[in-house]
Amino acid sequence: MKDLVLIFISTLLINNLVLSYFLGICPFLGVSGKIESAFGMGMAVTFVMTLATSIGWLIYNLILVRFDLLFLEYVVFILVIAALVQIVEMFIRKYSSALYQSLGIYLPLITTNCAILGVALFMVTRNYKFLEAVVFGFSGGLGFSLVLLIMAGIRQDLEFADIPRVFKGAPLTLITAGLLALIFMGFSGLVSS
Amino acid sequence: MNEIQIAILTLGSIGLVFSVLLAFLSKKLKVQEDPRVEKIVNILPGTNCGACGFSGCKVFAAAVAKECNLFSGCLPGGAEVNNSIAQTLGIAVNTETSRRVVVCRCGAELDAKIISLLYQGPQTCLAADITGGAIDCVYGCIGFGDCLEVCPVGALSLRERKIYVDIDKCIGCGHCVKKCPRDLFELVPRNSSFGIYYVACRNNDNAVLVKRVCARGCIGCGICVRVPNSPYYLKDKLSSLDYSKATQKAPLEEARVKCPTKCIFIA
Repeated sequence: MKDLVLIFISTLLINNLVLSYFLGICPFLGVSGKIESAFGMGMAVTFVMTLATSIGWLIYNLILVRFDLLFLEYVVFILVIAALVQIVEMFIRKYSSALYQSLGIYLPLITTNCAILGVALFMVTRNYKFLEAVVFGFSGGLGFSLVLLIMAGIRQDLEFADIPRVFKGAPLTLITAGLLALIFMGFSGLVSS
Repeated sequence: MNEIQIAILTLGSIGLVFSVLLAFLSKKLKVQEDPRVEKIVNILPGTNCGACGFSGCKVFAAAVAKECNLFSGCLPGGAEVNNSIAQTLGIAVNTETSRRVVVCRCGAELDAKIISLLYQGPQTCLAADITGGAIDCVYGCIGFGDCLEVCPVGALSLRERKIYVDIDKCIGCGHCVKKCPRDLFELVPRNSSFGIYYVACRNNDNAVLVKRVCARGCIGCGICVRVPNSPYYLKDKLSSLDYSKATQKAPLEEARVKCPTKCIFIA
């Protein structure tokens, strides 16, 4: 139990996928313009990540390890992620066309979100057990959502700030992302082993 | 079996499981779509440039399939693309009727707007809107003219903190629609045979609250809706015009005359 909590906290804050591993930067910068779409994106990624780690773990440990096919891990994980994203896309399209439109191209691009493939590969290299892997995927997704929401909040407020023209748009967004990463480094003392 | 066969078999069966699942779900979660939408998407160049005022080709196709009179042409597509889209929709391409113009849905002059707080912040709508907007009505035009800056053709003008649209200049690009923090601009089909009618108010509060902040606001009395063959409809105590039904002048004009607060305008 303690392990699970540790994994949860460390993936959510300390080893945040976006701000300390710098994975998933594309949606982090692309969908963080509005809080609503950031939230939708975060939830979609959390869902895909959780399921991708659980299904990926099952396939990896029950099939790939048994048949000694470890070289297939990348292909299999990408297959799992792509299928899941397709399902999520169908769901969102059916039940919230507004969200579907606001996410636009970034929704199918979750397939190529390196944070998700990253989580699946970390799970393998760190030899997680099934429950640990699920918690790892879930907290990874939550961490991604958290950072996305913080960024969206900051960017919404920055709309009204008086910014020198050279910094407007992408430069300031990147600087903000860098500062956020610095702030998140402060969490590294949170858990002492 | 050697390693290659096992690998092919394993990956193949995993793929098969997923594809069966996806096929099943896509049947189950099928979204009913106008078949014309896909046809139009195939005709469109697919550059998602946004010149039509929609965020992408697909959105544009969905919108025009729903409402033919929104069809304002595809700039990069050129004549060939536009003709075949019009054929799909069963309408004739006519630049005069297919163009859209923008109307400002706040028609209150400065003396009609009730202003009880003196606003001294930056003179932009965006900033004023955060503090409540320099006028009492939270739906109405703030009147600092943020929209003037984004209009590429200079069709908007500001006098006495009220926006006027020159519909002969307006190209219906929709930049002002995006800029206005209060979402007051509405793109409507240009109609050459008679004027463009619109309800110049966005306030959907009840009559007492409207009267407290503005003398020209829509109080939601419903008189315009009760006119015979009325194209107006009430939603949340606010009258709006259904442009797909606004084909005759008589009910439009009758409602305009009868409106007690005179907030139906002709552009």
